[in-house]
Amino acid sequence: MHASIAWARHALPGTGFLVQPPDGRGKVARRYDVVVVGGGHNGLTAAAYLARAGTKVLVLERRHVLGGATVTEEVFPGFRFSVLSYVVSLLRPEIIRELDLPRHGLEILPLDGTITPLDDDHLWRVNDHGKTIREIRRWSKNDAEAAEEYGRLMVDMARFVKPVLSMVPPDPAKLSPREWMPVLSLARSFRDLTQRQQSTFIQLMTMSAADFLEQWFETEPLKATMSASGIIGTFQGVRSPGTAYVLLHHYMGEIDGAFRAWGIPRGGTGAIAYAVASAAQEAGAEIRTEAPVARIEVRGGRATGVTLESGEEIRAGVVLSSLDPNWTFLRLIESGLLDDGFIAEVKRYTYRGSSGKVNLALDGLPELACKPGRGEWLRGAISFSPSIDYMERAYDDAKYGRFSRRPYIDCIIPTLVDPSMAPPGKHVMSCFVQWAPYRLEDGKAWDDDMRNAFGETVMDTLEERFPKIRDLVIHKQVLSPLDIEDMTGLTEGNIFQGELSLEQLFFNRPVPGWARYRTPITDLWLCGSAAHPGGGIMGAPGRMAALEVLKTGRFARRGSRGSA
Amino acid sequence: MRELDAVVVGGGHNGLVTAAYLARAGRRVLVLERRAKVGGILETVEMAPGVRAPGIAHTVGRLRRSVIDDLELLRHGLVLIDSPVRVFAPQPDGSALTLWADASRTAEELRARSRHDGGAYPVFDRKVRSLASFVAYLNAATPPDVKTPKFADLVAGLRTGRAFRDLGTKASREVTRILPMAIADVVDEVFEDPAVRGAIASRAVSCAAMGPLSAGTAATFLSDSAGNDGGAPGQSVIARGGPGGLAEALGSAARSFGAEIRTGAEVARILTRDHRAVGVALTGGEEIHASVIVANADPKRTLTTLVDPVVLGPHLMWRAGNIRAPGVVSKVNLALSALPKFPGGDEERLKGRIVIAPSIDYLERAFDASKYGRISSEPFLEVTIPTLSDPALAPEGRHVMSVIVQYTPFELRDGDWGSERDSVGDLVVGTLEQYAPGFGELVTARQVTTPVDLEREYGLSGGHPLHAEPGLDCWFAWRPLLGHANYRFGIEGLYLCGSGAHPGGGITGAPGANAAREILADLGKGN
Repeated sequence: MHASIAWARHALPGTGFLVQPPDGRGKVARRYDVVVVGGGHNGLTAAAYLARAGTKVLVLERRHVLGGATVTEEVFPGFRFSVLSYVVSLLRPEIIRELDLPRHGLEILPLDGTITPLDDDHLWRVNDHGKTIREIRRWSKNDAEAAEEYGRLMVDMARFVKPVLSMVPPDPAKLSPREWMPVLSLARSFRDLTQRQQSTFIQLMTMSAADFLEQWFETEPLKATMSASGIIGTFQGVRSPGTAYVLLHHYMGEIDGAFRAWGIPRGGTGAIAYAVASAAQEAGAEIRTEAPVARIEVRGGRATGVTLESGEEIRAGVVLSSLDPNWTFLRLIESGLLDDGFIAEVKRYTYRGSSGKVNLALDGLPELACKPGRGEWLRGAISFSPSIDYMERAYDDAKYGRFSRRPYIDCIIPTLVDPSMAPPGKHVMSCFVQWAPYRLEDGKAWDDDMRNAFGETVMDTLEERFPKIRDLVIHKQVLSPLDIEDMTGLTEGNIFQGELSLEQLFFNRPVPGWARYRTPITDLWLCGSAAHPGGGIMGAPGRMAALEVLKTGRFARRGSRGSA
Repeated sequence: MRELDAVVVGGGHNGLVTAAYLARAGRRVLVLERRAKVGGILETVEMAPGVRAPGIAHTVGRLRRSVIDDLELLRHGLVLIDSPVRVFAPQPDGSALTLWADASRTAEELRARSRHDGGAYPVFDRKVRSLASFVAYLNAATPPDVKTPKFADLVAGLRTGRAFRDLGTKASREVTRILPMAIADVVDEVFEDPAVRGAIASRAVSCAAMGPLSAGTAATFLSDSAGNDGGAPGQSVIARGGPGGLAEALGSAARSFGAEIRTGAEVARILTRDHRAVGVALTGGEEIHASVIVANADPKRTLTTLVDPVVLGPHLMWRAGNIRAPGVVSKVNLALSALPKFPGGDEERLKGRIVIAPSIDYLERAFDASKYGRISSEPFLEVTIPTLSDPALAPEGRHVMSVIVQYTPFELRDGDWGSERDSVGDLVVGTLEQYAPGFGELVTARQVTTPVDLEREYGLSGGHPLHAEPGLDCWFAWRPLLGHANYRFGIEGLYLCGSGAHPGGGITGAPGANAAREILADLGKGN
């Protein structure tokens, strides 16, 4: 086993690591305590926790590579990309600690700062607080003063909200004291906040990011760039009510302390999946790639295992699905087994993929027109968010079914902190792009022409700030929301397995009454981003689902294998 | 002469309701109104010789029933005129749909457009009524104080919990899901015809700086449906003699209980001593003393201009200054030489609200313009023709049309309201011409009230007819501000009774009645 760990640590994602292709044993059923459907970071996290508790776990991944949307692939020879997710900020520190991920090869490299390029100026914020305040003062004295106070308040808020991320939501229609206890304790700590903190919390939950920030700041690129964190992965604009809350996430990383708030894993985000997989495997979990599940077997209202597309049957006491509700309930479960009311609620759960991704292999480092040179400012995020209006216009296009004519782009150049991602002297650039709606206006589809047009729009937008970038492009990968869906199975290409809108959060996620990782089918559980607390490379749904399964006590007498 | 117990700053409809309740309980009350008449945006104006029109607000169907009964408004001359039709929604293709008070009649007509929608409508109507009943419960309650809950807050909380549980498992889950939603998603789940979606969703964004895709518009929709048989289509009741008829009845009721009303009396400052309100100073310098001061002015104006900032403190001052009041509404009244001809719109169908909101996208695009400080080129209109039910408002054969226009932002990015007034009038006439060919020729006179007029003439901050934006960020226990939703501001004796207080704007009398209840409770403790 140790050999395999050592191997795992040095294995390059996407090179066949852990592959156990269909073994040709045909219909011979095998039995596990738990089968996890889907080898994304949440499925792997759940598996790791379950295996550590001594259960016999099998993870089944459709693709040849683990990670789902948390994946590193060598898209072009010599150039490796975090194909979809591209930075990490919310990975729960308790998961890093409990699964001992650094020992399994996880190393998070700091990504310092965000630069917002403009026509002939820029706004560059870095981790160095004093430096950032000086930079903001260059724009507005008021904003520099407000930034200090704002930062303190937001850290307090993040500290208050943090327990929600590891709380199993109660069912509001039931008054079970056990379910409500954590909420009551949160209510008590709410009461202990100052009135200013309380009112800030309410505002964060209800306001738009732009309205919230406008109370504090006047500098357009500052407001726009900060507000961008509220709309990533959502089909909302910075002026849409309910987007302010995500501003907190930035600060949650800050108080976690275990790692830097904002960074990229060495080897790309896929390295997270492989570190978790290694931890799971060390604890005894089996992981199989290229093992697409065709059906979740249900007998007498109880999940009894899965059948692979190859026809192979695998029996299990418990099935955890890390897929979204559309896949889990509408595609993997035979129709007629779930009642119509539940199916109707699953069907109205909204996805609305809104983002695209452009990955560039570059012959050299691009330079910004507004800040020439190859300095440190290129080592962080490069945010195309010059003003609130720019952001909102980009969203307006999407509302009516078009990709943004001038999109919001969040770029990073990972090779500046992790040169191993490209051949010497070459670079990779990751561009997260919004908005690119999955559903296009009447009669249009995400065909090759549409993808090319989208890619060109992104290049045009990049070129406005990086004038010579087209000359540097060796390869270009353009992913539409449809491509993201095809590649990962994420319905409508929604990177969070369903919109993070207020009505789909907490006790409503994914379906009211079923927010506690359980489903109407006994022994079938959800453990992906469609469960509370939602998406991002957080790992929280996977961990919490596993802990809930263990709490049922049915695997209680097994010894723990992973903690030795 | 007996000493004054309370002074009400502003004689809008909520100020009158509060004054009437206080007087009815034996308190000596004085209402101070800056304008020459009471009622605020609830007034009837003579827009042209012999032609009377609703000044701003035009329907009064949400007026709380208990207010009508308690204040005996019918005895004081209020005549409410209901009509079997709630909404008539003409479409660009010349068709139209009607939402009747009778859901089965609506369903039958909708079936001709879409079988699916016809079937879905009565179910949706029932669901709206069920969920709105819970919102009605919240609206009647004084929101709890979350910072230092008292026994009464706990009791209120338990009662709310019970009302919530009484909804049943399914509906209680539904209400928590639907309240924070965008109305567009709510109607999209149920209906397939864009026309039906638009007609129903439009009410959720009425007077709000939000589009149907904005989260929280489902809450404004349910609040608008709460009480008074609103249901899916909402209310379309008008007052005889125009909205001023209701203002007069309220004034008369308040006086009959012993309240005194002074018009032409503008309050410049609310006087405080030792952190308690002791009176008001008028612009002329006159000081009037009372231990209870009730502000019917909007909360931003009350806190940032009427109260001594030192007493308020920098924190509350900052929060008050950030109360969002982005007005987007203009009002256009048109005198017509004859009834306009909407295809499919016979006289009966035009008696409710005529809504130009043919789809969700139409509404959203209209909203989009306001985000960039522009007037919508294709606006959302809510129109009434009160002369159809109350012919005395105009000479025989003539009609009056009252149009609420959205979105016309208070802050225009290019140009100013001095020069844009006419363009809003043209916009309305031009838009209606598309739905009722020949409309323009019928217009004999017009009157345009811009958001800037709403601020200047009616004292509404930002020209917002609801005193503060009705979004989720200014709702229930945090309307107008968290910690001050109980009609109090931490300055003893100072209360808020207008639309900026819970449960918000519209012609309901609800904040006024709730505030009176709280004031009387405090006064009762003092005696």
